[in-house]
Amino acid sequence: MATTETHDPPIFAPPVTEEDAARSSDRSRVQSARTNGRRWWLLWLLVGPGILAMLGENDGPSMIAYASDGAQYGLGFFVPFIPALFAMAYVCQEMCMRVGAVTHRGYGELVLQRFGSVWGWFAAADLTLTNLITLVAEFVSIRVGLAYFGLGSGVAVALGLTLVVFTFSGGRYWRWERIVLGMALFNGLFLVAAILVKPQVGAIAGSLDFSPFPGGSFNTLLLLLASTIGATVTPWMIFFQQGASADKGMTPRDIVHGRYDTAAGAVLASIFGVGALVAGAALLSHGGNGIQGFAGAGYPEALRRVAGGGAGTVFALGLIEAGAVAILTISASTAYAAAECVGVTHSFNVFPREAALFYAANFGIALVAALVILIPGAPLLSIALNANVLATVLLPVSLVFMVMLANDRGLMGRFANRRSTNVIGVGVIAFVGICGAAYGIDSFLLVTHVIG
Amino acid sequence: MSGSVRSPQTAGARRLADPSPASVEPAAEEELIMHLERDQFVAETSRPVPRAQLTRGARIALWGLRVFAVVVSLMVIYTFIDTLH
Repeated sequence: MATTETHDPPIFAPPVTEEDAARSSDRSRVQSARTNGRRWWLLWLLVGPGILAMLGENDGPSMIAYASDGAQYGLGFFVPFIPALFAMAYVCQEMCMRVGAVTHRGYGELVLQRFGSVWGWFAAADLTLTNLITLVAEFVSIRVGLAYFGLGSGVAVALGLTLVVFTFSGGRYWRWERIVLGMALFNGLFLVAAILVKPQVGAIAGSLDFSPFPGGSFNTLLLLLASTIGATVTPWMIFFQQGASADKGMTPRDIVHGRYDTAAGAVLASIFGVGALVAGAALLSHGGNGIQGFAGAGYPEALRRVAGGGAGTVFALGLIEAGAVAILTISASTAYAAAECVGVTHSFNVFPREAALFYAANFGIALVAALVILIPGAPLLSIALNANVLATVLLPVSLVFMVMLANDRGLMGRFANRRSTNVIGVGVIAFVGICGAAYGIDSFLLVTHVIG
Repeated sequence: MSGSVRSPQTAGARRLADPSPASVEPAAEEELIMHLERDQFVAETSRPVPRAQLTRGARIALWGLRVFAVVVSLMVIYTFIDTLH
């Protein structure tokens, strides 16, 4: 698995597929840029999976969760907490990128082959469950954004599904990645929204010491922690970044650029996430804690009343963008997982007719989620709020296998984890596990009246 | 990229491996694939990696974590359903 990159023609004669030819074509540009010392061009060619994973996780429910944090508690604990969580996400996602680049295989297939089919299918089942719930929330997010412009659920469904089908065209990973990357950069609209509400810069800087700590009940605090963690690190990111790194054709020589890509994604996502929080904080003294984020036009409409039409419009467009990009990346992670576990072709470098299951899973899960939001009276608000929490609860299992794979010297050779990475990785798993379990157990005991 | 051993005679493989006049010439084919590492080829990634030998303690710990995650997930789902009412 762990080999160094060579560019000599292979001395064996493997059956060559269209997928190989497409990936080789992309790699030829990387090799050319590296040979000619075109550093910025090389960086441009190699970025993608990391930024997409991080900005994809700045999805509709996440941005509404950040805005809710701001509307309910103002600037304070959550301003530095969001970048701290993305630092945690970087540690996890860097491992995914590295394993994908070294093994050229996705997370699902490695877990299945290395640890057995039971664990592989468990991982895929966890992912499908959390992805389906999250995708429902993404369509709701688009609906909330469109409601600001007077458009309904049908338009949200049509927009989301059309985008999924549109990105399939071309049968090239590179094309898919660049389309989604171009859309993802509009996540910066949340930063624009933050600027438009004219925040006090001194107040933002003053909150970097994690104060004031949010008040309220213990269960509410646990819910905020669990949902905010779930808004930052989730199982789909693990499947997505490892699968996309392999599909992109990354090799061990690209690991440094993969780290730049992942770090850039983490920095951008934390800036834009804090932007959503700052925009939401403008509602603090205007009944912000009473706003139903997924009901009607929610936060965009509230922002329009408080900070003007510009802020409301930009926030609404941001929600549409966040939901749309997440639909594409989360559907892709489902497709990678399903096709990897079944053992069939799983690459955007193949046309749909030759990777039917991969593309069917990609579109199918988006379609099912879209149909849910068309059901009259469906509890969309509750579904959206619980999506992040469930992802947080199931995340530790995925992370444990990720750390095991990244430590597997049989697969990774000299690219296996260092001790320091393991210490941080185990710390992240413990933190996520404790927060998720604490909320789950405390809430259960409350609703069953075991505790008051 | 496939999770199990796959016949090279997939549609994609046939297209380029087929020695028909319409297929790619050998020199052109070599040019097409020369930028890939050996273990990046679909034919290579289709071969499963060997199973890891987990210790008894590791297996117990993994099952313990799995059971714990399922139990807590069920609690979250129960709470979710209860709050709907």
